[in-house]
Amino acid sequence: MNAAAWICLLLPLASAVGITLTGPWISRRAAGYVSTATTMGAFVAAVVAFCFMLGDSPEERAHTTTSWTWLSAGRYDFGLTLLTDQLSVMMMLIVAGVGSLIVAYSVGYMEGSNEERRYFAYMSLFVFSMLLLVQGGNLLLLLAGWGMVGLSSYLLIGYDQHRPAAIRAAKKAFIMNAFGDATMALALFLLVEKTGSLDYADVFANAPTGTVATLVALGLLGGAVAKSAQIPLHTWLPDAMEGPTPVSALIHAATMVTAGVYLLVRTHPLFEQADFILDLSAALGAATLLMAGLIALAQWDIKRVIAYSTMSQIGYMFVGASVGAYASGMFHLMTHAFFKALLFMTAGLVIHALTGEQDIRKMGGLGKLMPWTRTLFLVGSLALVGIFPFSGFFSKDPIIASTLAREDWFGYVLFAVALAGTFLTGVYAFRLFFIVFTGEQSAFARERATHSSHNDKEGPISMLWTVVVLGVLAAFGGWIQFSPFWDPITKWLEPVAAPLVVPTDTQEWVASGCALLLGLAGIGVAWSLYARTRRERDPLVVPLFANKFYWDELYDLIWYKPADAIARALTWGFERPVIGGSLTVITRGFRVGSRELAIVQNGLVRSYALALAGGLVILTVIFVSAR
Amino acid sequence: MLGPDLSWFLVLSTMLFVIGALGVMLRRSPLIILLSVEIMLNGANLALITFSRRWGQEDGQVFAIAVMAVAASEVVVGLGLIVAMGRRNLELDVDKFRTLRG
Repeated sequence: MNAAAWICLLLPLASAVGITLTGPWISRRAAGYVSTATTMGAFVAAVVAFCFMLGDSPEERAHTTTSWTWLSAGRYDFGLTLLTDQLSVMMMLIVAGVGSLIVAYSVGYMEGSNEERRYFAYMSLFVFSMLLLVQGGNLLLLLAGWGMVGLSSYLLIGYDQHRPAAIRAAKKAFIMNAFGDATMALALFLLVEKTGSLDYADVFANAPTGTVATLVALGLLGGAVAKSAQIPLHTWLPDAMEGPTPVSALIHAATMVTAGVYLLVRTHPLFEQADFILDLSAALGAATLLMAGLIALAQWDIKRVIAYSTMSQIGYMFVGASVGAYASGMFHLMTHAFFKALLFMTAGLVIHALTGEQDIRKMGGLGKLMPWTRTLFLVGSLALVGIFPFSGFFSKDPIIASTLAREDWFGYVLFAVALAGTFLTGVYAFRLFFIVFTGEQSAFARERATHSSHNDKEGPISMLWTVVVLGVLAAFGGWIQFSPFWDPITKWLEPVAAPLVVPTDTQEWVASGCALLLGLAGIGVAWSLYARTRRERDPLVVPLFANKFYWDELYDLIWYKPADAIARALTWGFERPVIGGSLTVITRGFRVGSRELAIVQNGLVRSYALALAGGLVILTVIFVSAR
Repeated sequence: MLGPDLSWFLVLSTMLFVIGALGVMLRRSPLIILLSVEIMLNGANLALITFSRRWGQEDGQVFAIAVMAVAASEVVVGLGLIVAMGRRNLELDVDKFRTLRG
């Protein structure tokens, strides 16, 4: 059991280190296979741990294992501790399972790019970081994993190191995540101060209350918001599309952005002491899901549309976890991992077939060329919108229902926003589908696709099978839980995170009905706008949406411009005249002084002897007279 | 205590030291300078032994022997240098060696 947890954690690390150390001794393709095999090994280990856990009674499923004391400072000891409980095993399964499919897909996708070894080493490191994050048995290890996830994402987004845009995007992601890391670290300092420990059990048992609890929850929320790309720290996520497509899939589906939701659920006893922060987090999630949906309507880059849909879906998870429907949030996290990885990987197939083109204006009518891809993309889109019987339906609707279950005005506002988001999801997801796959083939697509070097137009078999597996999961994975009829995930997670609100059956039906109808309405709107004609001017591309609500410009104005102005002023007003000037004066003094002093050293040994004797005489006189 | 008064020894010691010091400062031959240094050292030795005798403790004598050992090694190095100079036909005049002038 514990051994399985350790194997699950360490296999990807071994792969990252191994690929790095062997370097050119193994072929590029072998590096891909090593990475795939180890990630799958981690998944198998996670399954083994899960099976062991099934044998335990529900209350005794949490296992901790400490290998050694990692850090010892004064009264505080932080062990290298793994916590394997219901929540972390669920995350392990998602991370390693979906992650291994994505890594396997990368073997085909990255073929022919020059530095696949580096790529696969980074991918393994990414999976390891995320596993450390979810398996860490105390908040310090969580923070370590948190930071390493940020690092890995930086490395992978900037993988294409010759493109300045990729480097910029990588830096942006890293800096925004570092901001979240900092607020989280502050929250942990406060926790250590107040509870004297960072072990989950101790911290939850002595959870602080009052202002301290609010501050701690705020700090943790800052970390979650940064990692999960919610307002106001979301602007890095769309830019992160500069990375290779499988990296986007990994960031969006298996690792990284789901970390914030995991944090909310994992540390829910701390958040429950701070109602205001919980409401704030729900409000941020709701605002993000609405705003991201609106922005997604007006994007022309196939990957950016999907990226904004991720932000929107994570917003749903935030709402769910914040109103206390932890299991629903985690369930949506799981199905989202399936269908979002599916969407990204089918988009990757399209991009691959068009040799790197991502602008949907140049696509069109690809369905005839790539029927499998079209079908799978359709499955992913339907799951994303939450149409019965695809997986999104089963996971999104309980979240919407649990906002109703709050039964106060805030809950109703959240409900309305979530429903509006469903409508927007239908519109943007199927805008993408109709523009890319239906209608008349664009000249560009026809030309590129016929000149494509692949014999089969859809892509190599090594890429296709992973997409098909994910398609099956996205289509049927939701049937695991169908509240209110059966709810194994809620029961599974109950010992770790008991829900605060449980929607009634009526609320479930109302929410499901409304969401389904609005989703269909959204699809209908998209159909009427995009399916029948190719439009030259898109009515939904309004400047406000196309410019992403001007967040980048706002941050530029608030942070970059003043910092730049201050730096300039200091350069001309302080550094050059004061620091540079004083240095000139000092060096001149030394130069003149040394030239004068050098006369004393005349090279005559006897004069030195005279100086010694004279000094001796003077000292003697001084000592004698001072006596 | 037998022998002359303590101050005589000290006067002799000071005289030796001053003679040595003057030799170092005034003479230009490295050989003579080396000799003068030896004289200075022995002046100091005499003072050490004098006080050792005065206080009836052996520390001063031990130091004197240590100084002699140092002096012997110094002579070895110094004479070695002078011989090396002579073999290169350099003029034996310390005022001519001014390469280290600042």
